[in-house]
Amino acid sequence: MNAELFWGFPVVFYLFLAGVGAGALTVSSSVLLRGGGGPSGAHVDVARYGAFLAPLPIIIGCALLVFELGSFEVGHWFKWLNLYKVINLSPMSIGTWLLTVCIFVSLAYAYTFLSDPPGLGKDGALRLRRPLAWVSVPLGVAVAVYTGVLLGAMPSRPFWNSPILALLFLLSALSTGVAVILLARALLHPSKGGAGGEDRAFNESGYLLTASDSLLIGIELVIVFLFIMFAYLTVGDVRHAIAVILSGGDLAAVFWLGFIVLGLLLPAIVELKYVVPRLLFHKTFSPPRGIEILVPVVVLVGGFILRYVVVVAGQITGPVGI
Amino acid sequence: MGRREFLQASGAIGAAVAASGAAAANEPAQKKRYGMLIDTRRCFGVHACSVACKAENGVPLGQTRSWVEYIEKGTYPNVSRSFLPRLCNHCEKPNCVSVCPTGATWKRAEDGIVVVDADICIGCKYCVQACPYDARYPNPTTGAVDKCDFCFHRVAQGLEPACVEACPSRARVFGDLSDPESEISRTIATNPVTVLRPEKGTEPNVYYIAADHTGERTPALPNQYVRIETHRRQIERR
Repeated sequence: MNAELFWGFPVVFYLFLAGVGAGALTVSSSVLLRGGGGPSGAHVDVARYGAFLAPLPIIIGCALLVFELGSFEVGHWFKWLNLYKVINLSPMSIGTWLLTVCIFVSLAYAYTFLSDPPGLGKDGALRLRRPLAWVSVPLGVAVAVYTGVLLGAMPSRPFWNSPILALLFLLSALSTGVAVILLARALLHPSKGGAGGEDRAFNESGYLLTASDSLLIGIELVIVFLFIMFAYLTVGDVRHAIAVILSGGDLAAVFWLGFIVLGLLLPAIVELKYVVPRLLFHKTFSPPRGIEILVPVVVLVGGFILRYVVVVAGQITGPVGI
Repeated sequence: MGRREFLQASGAIGAAVAASGAAAANEPAQKKRYGMLIDTRRCFGVHACSVACKAENGVPLGQTRSWVEYIEKGTYPNVSRSFLPRLCNHCEKPNCVSVCPTGATWKRAEDGIVVVDADICIGCKYCVQACPYDARYPNPTTGAVDKCDFCFHRVAQGLEPACVEACPSRARVFGDLSDPESEISRTIATNPVTVLRPEKGTEPNVYYIAADHTGERTPALPNQYVRIETHRRQIERR
C-alpha cells in the first residue's frame, strides 16, 4: 500500500458519528410518531434516549472534519465558514447545509424532551415535539444517505462510485442509531428485577429495538452482497477495486472478520436468539444485562469498521491503466 | 404582443444576428480553449519541466504540479523505457470543479483553464479525491489545494507556460485548441493523438503523441516486467 490517504481517521470518525447521530434521530422521531407522540405514548422512553443521543455525535463528527481541513492546519481557523457563502450541487455543499439544519433541528428536538424546558414550558414542548419529529425523520435519513453520496460522486474512485453505497450507509446508520439507544438504555436504566408494569414496558421497547436492529442487519447483509457481487461481476476499474476486500486483498481480513462477522453476523445471531422466542412463542423478551450491553457495542464497532474499510479502500484503489 | 409587433421584433432580432455574424467574420469571437500537446517521442526525461514549474510557481518541497513518469517494461532484449510527462489536463468536464463545495475552483469561461483560488479554498481535499489524474495536492504552506494552472500569469503576458519554455527537446506545444490555425491544432490534426484515461469522461485538453499507456495493471505484457516510476510522493499511480 503506497497510496497517500488524503482523508484519514477524522473522516472515518465523522462518517461513523454522523451516521450514529442521524440514525438515532431518525429512530427516535419515527418511534415517537408511531407511538402517537404524546407524553405517555408507546416507547416514549426510546424516543427520549434517541433525542438526547442524536445531536452530540453529529456535532463532534462535524468538528472533526474541520480539524482535518488544510486551511485549519495552517492556522486559518475560521476559513471553513466559506462553506456557508455558497450553495452549489457539490455533495459536500449540500451536506454542509443539511448537517447544519440537522444539528439545529436535533438540538431543538432534544430540548423538547427536557422535563420542563425554560422558555417553552411543558405544554409548549409537547406541542413542538411532533412537528419537529416530522422534520427529523427525513433530515436524519438525508444526512445518512448524503455521507454515501459524498463518496459516490467520483468516477475516479471506483470503489466508492456505486449508488448502493449510500443505501449501505443509511442502513448502517439506522442500525448503529438503534444500537446506541440500546446501549444507553442498558447502561442507564435502573437494574431490573421488579415485576411492575414499567419493567414490562422496558422489555417491550427493548424487543422493538432489538427486532428492528436484526431486520436492519439482515437488509444490510443483502446490500453488502449486492455491492460486492455487482462489483465482482463487472470488468475493469470496479472489478479491480473490489479485489481489495476480497480474498487476498489488503483489507479483506478487517472487512470480513471485523465488519461481516463481528459487526453483522454475530449481533444478528445473538439478537435473533432473544427475538425469535418472543416473536413466535410470545415469551418474555428479557436478555441478560451483559448481552444488552455487548450486542450494541459490537454493532457500533462494526459500523466504525465499515466506514474505515470504505474510506481506506476507496483511496488505495483507482482506475486501471492510464 | 400583437402579431405585427411580434414580426417587427423578430425582424430586429434577425438583423442583429446577421450583424453579429458579420462581426465574427472580421475577428473570431470564439472563446479560447487552451490545451497542450506532448510529443513523448521527443521527451527524454530530464525533468526540466518539473524543475521549471516548481521554480516558477513556488511549489513546496515534495510536491509537484508537473512531473515526468518513467515506464520500464519488457524482458531483455525486448525492453523499452518511455517517459510520460504529466500535468493537470484542464478537462472540459472537470470532476474536481463539480465537487468543490466552496466554488474555490472553476474552469475559466474565457480560456478553459481550471484554476484554484487559494483565498477561497478551505482545503477539504474533495477535489484531490475526484481528480482521476492525481493532478492536485494539498499545499502545506497555504492550506489550500494547488495544481497546474497552465501558468496563466505568464500566458496573460503573451509567454508560454514555464514547462513548455524549459523543455529542451520542444516536446510540448501549448496553444489555443479552438483556433484551427494554431500550431497545436495543426499538429493534432495531422498526428495520431491520445488522452489519458478517456473512459473517465472528463474530456482532457492535454493530448499526447505516442504516449505509452502501459500501467502496472495493464495486461498487455503478461508475465513481463513492468515498472512505473512516478517521481512523486505518490509512489504508485492510483
